[in-house]
Amino acid sequence: MATTTAPTRSRDDTRLALLFILPALTGFLVFMVWPTLRGIYLSFTKFNLLTPPDFNGLDNYIRMVQDPVFWNALKVTVYYVILNIGLQTVLALVIAVMMQRLTQRTWLRGIVLTPYLVSNVVAAMVFLWILDYQLGIGNTVIAALGMDRIPFLSDSAWVIPTIAVINVWRHVGYTALLIFAGLQTIPQTVYEAGRVDGASEIRMFRSITVPLLRPILSLVLIVTVVGSFQVFDTVAIATRGGPVDSSRVLQYYIYDVAFGRFQFGYASAMSVALLAVLVIITFVQYRLTRAETSDLA
Amino acid sequence: MTTTAPTVAPAVVVPETTPAEPRRFSIGRALAWTFMILVILLSLFPFYWMLRTALSSNNALYAGSNSVLPVQASWGGFERVFGLQTGQEAIDAGGAGQAIDFWRYLLNSVVVATLVTAGQVFFSAMAAYAFARLQWRHREKVFAFFLAGLMIPAIFTLLPNFVLIKQLGLVDTLLGISLPTMFMTPFAVFFLRQFFLGISREVEEAALMDGASKVRVFFRLVLPLSAAPIATLGILTYIASWNEYFWPLMVSYTDKSRVLTVALGVFKSQTPQTGPDWSGLMAATLVAALPMLVLFMLFAKRIVNSIGFSGIK
Amino acid sequence: MIRVSQRVRAAVVAVLTVGALSACGNGSGGGSAGTIEYWLWDSAQQPGYQKCADEFEKANPGLRIHISQYGWDAYWSKLTAGFIADTAPDVFTDHLSKFAQYVDLKVLRPLDDLGPTSDIQDGDYQEGLAELWKGQDGKRYGAPKDWDTIAVFYDNAALKAAGVDPAELQNLSWNPRDGGTFEKLVAHLTIDANGVRGDEPGFDKFHVKTHGLASEGAGGGGWGQTQWSAFTGSAGWQATDKNPWGTRFNLDQPALQDTLRWYFGLVQKGYMPHYEEIGGANAIGTDKQIQSGTAAMGLSGSWMISTFSKLTDAKGKKLDIGLAPTPIGPTGKRASMFNGLADSITTQSKQPENAAKWVKFLSGEQCQDIIGQSGVVFPARPRGTDLAVAYNKNERKLDVTPFTQQVKDKTTFLFPVTTNAADITALMAPRLDAVYIGSSPVTSLTRLNEQLNDLFKVAQ
Repeated sequence: MATTTAPTRSRDDTRLALLFILPALTGFLVFMVWPTLRGIYLSFTKFNLLTPPDFNGLDNYIRMVQDPVFWNALKVTVYYVILNIGLQTVLALVIAVMMQRLTQRTWLRGIVLTPYLVSNVVAAMVFLWILDYQLGIGNTVIAALGMDRIPFLSDSAWVIPTIAVINVWRHVGYTALLIFAGLQTIPQTVYEAGRVDGASEIRMFRSITVPLLRPILSLVLIVTVVGSFQVFDTVAIATRGGPVDSSRVLQYYIYDVAFGRFQFGYASAMSVALLAVLVIITFVQYRLTRAETSDLA
Repeated sequence: MTTTAPTVAPAVVVPETTPAEPRRFSIGRALAWTFMILVILLSLFPFYWMLRTALSSNNALYAGSNSVLPVQASWGGFERVFGLQTGQEAIDAGGAGQAIDFWRYLLNSVVVATLVTAGQVFFSAMAAYAFARLQWRHREKVFAFFLAGLMIPAIFTLLPNFVLIKQLGLVDTLLGISLPTMFMTPFAVFFLRQFFLGISREVEEAALMDGASKVRVFFRLVLPLSAAPIATLGILTYIASWNEYFWPLMVSYTDKSRVLTVALGVFKSQTPQTGPDWSGLMAATLVAALPMLVLFMLFAKRIVNSIGFSGIK
Repeated sequence: MIRVSQRVRAAVVAVLTVGALSACGNGSGGGSAGTIEYWLWDSAQQPGYQKCADEFEKANPGLRIHISQYGWDAYWSKLTAGFIADTAPDVFTDHLSKFAQYVDLKVLRPLDDLGPTSDIQDGDYQEGLAELWKGQDGKRYGAPKDWDTIAVFYDNAALKAAGVDPAELQNLSWNPRDGGTFEKLVAHLTIDANGVRGDEPGFDKFHVKTHGLASEGAGGGGWGQTQWSAFTGSAGWQATDKNPWGTRFNLDQPALQDTLRWYFGLVQKGYMPHYEEIGGANAIGTDKQIQSGTAAMGLSGSWMISTFSKLTDAKGKKLDIGLAPTPIGPTGKRASMFNGLADSITTQSKQPENAAKWVKFLSGEQCQDIIGQSGVVFPARPRGTDLAVAYNKNERKLDVTPFTQQVKDKTTFLFPVTTNAADITALMAPRLDAVYIGSSPVTSLTRLNEQLNDLFKVAQ
């Protein structure tokens, strides 16, 4: 009954709707769709930004497939995403559950959120200093404990985990709050029932909390994975792709090729590859986690 | 309001659980608190360290000092950031000769973030309303189209957008920096649509029956009812826009349009040919982070409480 | 209700304000009429050039010079972005490793075509400098500004503690087999965490406190200018088949590979710091290493003289730094890379004639004398050079002969000038880093050499 409106009113709001979505649609078309199409076009050209593009067919794609630095960048990026998202999601989940259990006061959530307020650039710089091999407090403590100093950002084995941790520091608070809010949507009655049945905290967590959080978790996962794939700021400040390509993530390589070597066409081809990867991953994630359904209803 | 509901529920939880198993609970609780204290320390320590380094002097830092307090305390770092040291003084203290025009960059950041937030939130709200409450053909298809935009990597649009901004003659202007995100983001539209979907239809229907147009309903009813999620989105957008680095880096060339994040990056690379000016750098970092921290302290409760899915069906 | 319309009003006001702001400022290339936009990257040189600017403005009323300084990394990306966005400066300090690419992209104006700079004479400058800045078309793209060579900086206190007479450093020699007297000295100056020196029994190469030789990284970004060029040069190695404008590379030659094997081998022996120890991607230079005691001596360029002369220890006491020439190599001579900066004018400049006036002034006697007297670099003109030498002797009590004698003795070799420099660096830097770190053998440079040669085959 709620859907019926006054009989004389037309049911079609098309003209009004058009008006309402016009600004957003314009922005979307001009700054998202058009660049995407243009980017795809540029990927088939040789373009140095200062002279008109020069069509060169599939050359860029052939070069990309044969480029070891590209494949390495892809590998490095995937490795980074797995570490970053894995750690971040687990930590965020634990923190969210702790927050729910311990105290609902705002101050705790406020503190947890603080790192999110600063930019990636700020976070990178602070950790660059804290983790400095010679002078950083991190290594000073490690050396005082009698262990060898760790070259966090200048050793190929340590660099990606370190960058992953830096970004976890920055983002875990926000993610935890999102999950925390999701936890609030689970009615207490379900937990009460579980407790009455004699289930332990951990058992309830596994069998009640996690399954009911699924739609929230999968949404959070999808968005954070897409964001994580585009890591750039931290690498640009802290390592510039080093040592020897071990932190040369895809977005950084693309940037360097475009603006350092004036090869926009090739950079566009690699961007198309990144786009394809993201589309596939998002699609797979969406299906795997059945994000649109909820066990709560 | 739906957003305050979550804070009411917990008051019911705590007394319920304590009488059940006091002994097991207290060990678990102690562990949990230990964990959370660790989290708090790790979250806040970098900020303290920023402050400590900013208040030290470079020579002492490079000679390798481990004190927890500032070493050879001086305001030098901050002075360099605000351009209060002459070129020569700065070089002698281990910094670069160029000052940074802090207040200018602050103003630029404010303008850009405000423009982007105002535009994005408003236009996304309009679009979200169209997707949530207006009836028109292809509504769901267009929405899915918008949503697909979430997957487009930033770098992909960045290069052509840059060329576009250049052709519009807006390079090195604040408008040029704001333009691409000033209209909408798929996330904003999605976020607001979820809330609008959750608004009770009865009130809307009543207003429509009374002869109000859908436009009026939007402005006088839906928007005020959604003040909380709109405020949330506004704050999140503001923070995100404030912290943008890559795009403003590309678009701005002179102080005219440089924002704080980029200034920080430039300050870092303006190091003398040798090692970084750590105390100046940390001072600059602190100064760049400060506005958001202050904003946060003023609005902490609202920000923290608003992050969530309340109202999502 | 009120909130909504307030928001709308605020938004409208904001848009109008910014519209006004962006209309006010003009974003076209170069400065507005009368103001010449000049960029440089060395913060230490800025005060000197500001003085030049002041003199220029006095002599040219109506013209203003605005100097912007950006650190090395930001400098080139901003310049690039400036070319793209049409916001490039009128004049900028150019570097041999970049100028060829800019010529290709047609963003540099030939100085011969502009009135004030059309009569610049090669002979006014140190030998070879002006020629370096001519393109493959024979036109001049940069007016010589300064020159630099490489020498050894050392900490006198460390030498004293080691019982070494500084005079010894004037005649060191090295060779790829055993490092000669140079390596012996380096070993002796190296001290491990237990106080054992590098040439004494019981030396622990895994826990070194002070290294005998500082490291400036792997040198892949600048042909090893302050890293290994002095060694490869004195081993008789040349980077390309001809210089400038070579197209075939020589990284596969034994002269290079044996030298680098020895040079990076010093790291394994504990005499030179590791990649991590100097900070990886954000490496600290020789000066900071000497200051913090990480190294006792190291190679660096003449542009660093003023920085070294100001080094202090943790308590603020000035360090006693000495200079020595680069060691003599297997060829029987020493060698140093010879580089020279120049000022270039952009094609985007809206006032090329005024810019040319400034460039003429920069490369002229008056300005170069001012720069010489500021003692930061060696100006390209001989008289400016003499003033700089005198400044160092009188004000800093520093004898800079180790730098100047290489020019006099003609033991210098030019910085390699080629096209495709950005691609070369992109390929070379990671490969050399890998050799420095030890994850790739020196022979991997043969494969690199092929890739570099391929770059030029494709270009043809």
